[in-house]
Amino acid sequence: MLEELFYQEKELFLQKLHPAAAMLHICTLLVLSLIFTNPLYLVGIFLCTGLSVYALEGLQTWKLFIKGGLLMTVPIMIINPLVSRAGATILWHGPRLPVFGKITVSLEAVFYGAVMSMRLLDVISIFCLYNIMVHPDKALNILERFAFKSALVLSLATRMFPAMIRHLENIKQVQVVRGVDFSTGSFRQKLDKYTNLIYILLLSSLEDSMEMAEAMQARAFGSGRRMCYVRDVFKPEDFICAASSMTALFVGALGAVKGYGVMNFYPYLGSVYSMGDIYLLAFMLAMLSVPTLLSWGWHRCRYFR
Amino acid sequence: MLRKGAWAEMFSTVMVIVVLGFMFFSFELHRTSSKEIALVAVMSAVAAIGRVAFAALPNVQATTFIVMVSGYVMGPSAGFMVGAAAALVSNFFMGQGPWTPWQMLAWGLSGASAGLIKKLFPSISRAGMIIFCFLWGYFFGWIMNLWYWSAFIRPLNINSFIAACISSIWLDSFHAAGNAVLYFCFGQGFIKILGRFYRRLKVTVR
Repeated sequence: MLEELFYQEKELFLQKLHPAAAMLHICTLLVLSLIFTNPLYLVGIFLCTGLSVYALEGLQTWKLFIKGGLLMTVPIMIINPLVSRAGATILWHGPRLPVFGKITVSLEAVFYGAVMSMRLLDVISIFCLYNIMVHPDKALNILERFAFKSALVLSLATRMFPAMIRHLENIKQVQVVRGVDFSTGSFRQKLDKYTNLIYILLLSSLEDSMEMAEAMQARAFGSGRRMCYVRDVFKPEDFICAASSMTALFVGALGAVKGYGVMNFYPYLGSVYSMGDIYLLAFMLAMLSVPTLLSWGWHRCRYFR
Repeated sequence: MLRKGAWAEMFSTVMVIVVLGFMFFSFELHRTSSKEIALVAVMSAVAAIGRVAFAALPNVQATTFIVMVSGYVMGPSAGFMVGAAAALVSNFFMGQGPWTPWQMLAWGLSGASAGLIKKLFPSISRAGMIIFCFLWGYFFGWIMNLWYWSAFIRPLNINSFIAACISSIWLDSFHAAGNAVLYFCFGQGFIKILGRFYRRLKVTVR
């Protein structure tokens, strides 16, 4: 399951985008999903993200994210109706509780909880898109320009993580061969067994860190200005994707300031859509779909390449 | 105008990113040797592994314990880096999400606070550290509840925050108990091993 959550190189158009263009697209989706409260907009952003995930052949990964996200929506659906007093259409009068006072559940609060759950699914889907679209190294390369030492720590740790998992598996197998059964025993016994694993891993990893530091020094770490061997080139398709994302962000933010895409929940539910909403949403979704459309063309039409 | 809630979400996320940026910047300003960088990276990876190794036990986060031990031995700045890096790196493999910056902050602060505790109370007892680790199980949960509460719950008031904390109390309690048990059983051993390696960085032969 862990492998599916990690970035996998599939040589797809969206994975080949410049990291800045890819991050701009993802940030635009994220900001728009946080600005708007209209369920139509949130569903639109969800579908648009889903299209990109489909173009990245990541539906399996998306399913895992959505499963986790659905679990997280449960408290949102419960807490919002219980704590909100602003709704006018009361569905249920509950008992008086010590901290919260008299509980009343209103239709508006239930609807607000549902819309916020939709937003959570949007946000989780956008992060799923980030996971399968941007290579961690490329994301860290952006950080490297501002914080070299921090980026180096993160890069080293990212490199070591899969190696350590394999190392941990090896240690576990050795323990199993020696008669340790990790699936049986009380909580204390299980804790003991698992922490022994970490103990052995800690000791061997700390020894490795000394060797790594010596290898870094042998390669002249810290002796002067660093050189950069690989630079990502900003190609025309990156420019198109970045421009479409910027346009969607600008138009979306302007629309939100003018009152589009923002729904009134209290005291009574406001209207879900107007013609202006429909036009703005259609334009924004068209702009947000540009990278996916380019990806479709890149794979099917040679003139796009 | 944008509704007030949108500003609350943006403000809380921006604040978290600013705090993370400030802490990373302070790490950049430190004179750090290649050995210290390698040690911080290794401890981050080990802490990240702690999330995977203890996945079978409900919300027992060995990561918090390892980050706090790292902060206790290596100081607040390195402790913060270990915590923040452990969250980011483990999420590269377990799924980045809106929770990532908040996890980076929460684990980073747990590491930094353990370093500060060592500075403020150099002779803090084992029992004191166990209580401190236990409390961080709840602090971590409350910090994580902040993003959830600020983005998806309305109205933003103390009652709704308490409700959010109540909904996660059993998970936070497992986390807190796990931290305390891990420190009780293995804290001294971890500190001894890591302390020995950390001293090796500082030893110079004249």
